[in-house]
Order: sequence, then structure tokens, then C-alpha cells
Amino acid sequence: MSTPDVLRPPRSALSRYRQALWLLTVRDLRVRYSTSALGYLWSILDPLVMAGIYWFVFTQVFGREGRIGEEPYIVFLLCALLPWMWFNGAVSDATRAYLREAKLIRSTKIPRTIWVARLVLSKGIEFVASIPVLAVFAIATGAVLHWQAVYFVLGILMQAVLTLGVGLIVAPLVVFFRDLERATKLALRFLFYASPIIYGITDLKPLGLDLIAAFNPLAGIFSLYRAAFFPAQLEWFAVGIGAAMSVLILGVGILVFKRTERAVLKEI
Amino acid sequence: MTVPGMLDEVIGEATPPVIRVQGAGIRFRRNRRSRRNFKDLFAGRNRRARSNEFWALRDITFDVQPGEAIGVVGRNGQGKSTLLKLVAEVILPDEGSVEVHAGVAPLIEITGGFVDDLTVRENVYLTAGLHGMSRAEITAQFDEIIDFAEIGDFIDTPYKHLSSGMKVRIAFSVISRLEEPVILVDEVLAVGDKAFREKCYRRIEELLAGGRTLFFVSHSEKDLRRFCTRGLYLDKGILVLDGPIGDVLDRYNTDYGI
Repeated sequence: MSTPDVLRPPRSALSRYRQALWLLTVRDLRVRYSTSALGYLWSILDPLVMAGIYWFVFTQVFGREGRIGEEPYIVFLLCALLPWMWFNGAVSDATRAYLREAKLIRSTKIPRTIWVARLVLSKGIEFVASIPVLAVFAIATGAVLHWQAVYFVLGILMQAVLTLGVGLIVAPLVVFFRDLERATKLALRFLFYASPIIYGITDLKPLGLDLIAAFNPLAGIFSLYRAAFFPAQLEWFAVGIGAAMSVLILGVGILVFKRTERAVLKEI
Repeated sequence: MTVPGMLDEVIGEATPPVIRVQGAGIRFRRNRRSRRNFKDLFAGRNRRARSNEFWALRDITFDVQPGEAIGVVGRNGQGKSTLLKLVAEVILPDEGSVEVHAGVAPLIEITGGFVDDLTVRENVYLTAGLHGMSRAEITAQFDEIIDFAEIGDFIDTPYKHLSSGMKVRIAFSVISRLEEPVILVDEVLAVGDKAFREKCYRRIEELLAGGRTLFFVSHSEKDLRRFCTRGLYLDKGILVLDGPIGDVLDRYNTDYGI
């Protein structure tokens, strides 16, 4: 009995995971750009149109006059709308994470968390790529950038943890309960208005709802992003609760994923 | 009944097994539409209600030494492909354990990783990469992969524009280049023309000569005898016989005479 003629040097599981994650992310971006002429533009056009609509409705039609949010409102809006796009995109794609890649999942033994992680990563890259749009509007409206902009990094980290956690819960359950796909879309629409996007968490204080709102991790996360231009929006208690909630959700996500992995593999 | 340890005596215990399957079993639901509830999903593996389920494989135990060539024999629906998928670790057993101590090149659903909108070149890098090859390794072997698949003129063509034969050829070519010690083959070669199939077989023989471990599922007695030295005979989800391929085929033919 001879030994194999060529043997690959053993590589760590982590480096293989990273390689596969990167390949899949690049594949997604490549497919998007090879099949649509506008490519990058599409990923920023959506939040831009939304921001335009909200800006028009709240500043022109209703005449907001400083009652909600802060000036310049368009910058205030984009600070939360762009990261919302990341969360929204990753979670709604997570509903199809296993179903869309069924063939690949059936033929490779890459750790199965990757099918969710890659969505969080590719949507996260799109988010980072859309930050220049925010910069353009900030310069155009003369918004002042404060040192609190460093909290952006913390915001991104917390949001990645949260989004991965939600994705790990949603993705396997949709395999068994197809209705959850629609339920998720509905929940996301609700969450859009329930999170401080078109308003700030400070606007909830007079209503006495700010403590309850803080249990939505997005409230703390968006307050971190907003601190870059509006330091008054930074609410550390919301960030603290949000961080704890994000970690908790990731924990639940990992548990759900582990418990359902076997059944998911049989089902797809 | 199962004959565990039969080959251990022949081969001895010098080398540790590359594949070790112990008491492995897996069950599937009979009816895809059957009701599922949350409780069912999260209940422990053994406490789950199992009225509507059947065991596709049960109590399978065998070891595979490096360099062995194993043929899996059995009628349709007796668990052959399921066993292969367990060894590929793309599904997980409900009881018992499947340990694979070396990298696996699975020739199962080989076109699975290919993306329609990307070119052949991009697809080769993607699929080989997902199976664990590094960029440099792929670049070094790229020409060989393309030559083997005989699609040199289509390197920059989107995958979706290839004929179905070409798709399988390039897929086989990529997966069979993976430098993994274990190869799993699941009747993928039934497609493609005769000349290419012969080429695939020669490639498998080459790999076997290089000391790879082969796990082969086929209905073709000729192919089984050509590649394999040892056979596993599955019937109704149970490992009925584990022995030299000739004996296993004889037993199979007696049971389901031709």
C-alpha cells in the first residue's frame, strides 16, 4: 500500500472557513456586477430614494421644524438608513440562505454557519461602500463631524453580531416553515418604524418609551452611528442594553442553528 | 448480518483507519408534507416523535484503511447514496458516529457549486477554492483542468452557455484534481460520452495507483470489479455483508438473481 503521491499541507479549519467565506462573498459581488450594468449604483440607489422620500415628507410636507431628529435632517436620516439597509438586506436574504444554495450545501462540507455569515459580510461590505454617500451629503449640508465618529467601528461590530444572530435563527426555521419568509418581511417592515430611523431615540424620551425602545438593539447601534454628527444622540444606556441583547440574540442563534442543523441538511 | 472486523485481520492494525463508521444510523421522514411543530424540532434527538419516520440506514459499522477501494452494492433505495453522503459529511447521522480523518473529494452533485452567470475560469477558481484548494494550487493546475475537460475554447464563456456534457466534464475535472486522500464517486459517470467516461475511469485508476482511498457507488458490476477490492452490501438500510468485492457481488446476485 503506497501513500498518496501528493499531500496538501494541513490547513487550519479557521483559514479554510475564512477562504470559503471570502470566495462566496466575492462570488456574490461578482455575480451582481456581471449581470447588471449599474452594479454599485443599485446598492446606493435604494437608500437614496428612500432618504429622498422621507426628507420630502418630513421636512417639506409636514414641516418638521426641529420637532423630530436633528438638522441637517437628511444626514440624520442617512446615518440610520444606510445601516438599516444592511440589516434589512441580510435578514431578508437569510430567509433563503439554505434554499438558494441547496445544491452547494449538499455537495460540500463547509461549516454551515457560512451560509448566513456570508450574507452578513457581503451586505456589510455594501454598507461600508455606501458610506461615501453619507460623506457627500454631510459636506453638501455642512454637517460637522465630531470625534465620536470612532464609535462607527463599535456600531459596525455590534450590528454584525446582531445580524448574524438574527440570520442564524431565521435561516434554518424558514426551511421548515416556509410561511416564516413572509412573516420575516412583515416583521422587518414593522421594525423599520419601531427603530429610531426617521426619528431619534431622544425623541422617545417625552413619551417615556426610550427604555423600552432600548431593548431593540438597533436603537443603541444607530445611536452610535449618529454620534458622529450628532453627539447628543448617543445614549449609553441604549448602547449597553443593545450590546447585551445582540450577544444574547447571537447566543440564541447559535443554539437554534446547532439544534436544527441535522434536520436542515435532510430537508434541503 | 454485519461482519465487523473481518478485514481488520487481513490488514492488521498497523495504520489507523481513515474512515471509521460506528453504529451509524439516519432516519428520514416518510412524508415531506407531514406536520412539523416547534417542539418536534427542538426536542432532543432521541425523544422526538418518530411515527412518520423510517431508518434509511441503521447500525452501520465499518473501518476503512488508507488506500482501500470500496464498492457499495445494493438495490435502489437501500441507502447507498445516503451512506456516501454520510462519509462526505454533508449529512449527519442521527445515532452513532462517522469519523473521517482525511480530506474528501466528493464526486457527488459535482455541478452543485457552479454558478451560471460566471465564466468557466471564475467557476473553476470558485469551486476548487470552496473545496479547499488555495489560489496558487489552482493556478498551477488550471491548464491541466481545462485540458482534461477538453473545453479550452470556452474558458471565458459564461457557465450557463456550456452544453450539459461540457458542464459535467469541467465539474469532474475540477473535483478529481482536488488533492484529497479520499475520493467518493456516486454514479456521476453515467453521464457524458463513452470516450470521456473512459477517461474519467483512467483518472480514477491513476488516483488509486497514487494511494488514494476510494468509495464507489455503482450498479455496474464491471466497474465495481474494475476498481474495488472490498465491497459493502446494503439491504434495507442494513450492512448485510462486508468482504472482498467478488464475494459481495456473488451474494448480491444470489439474492437478486440476474
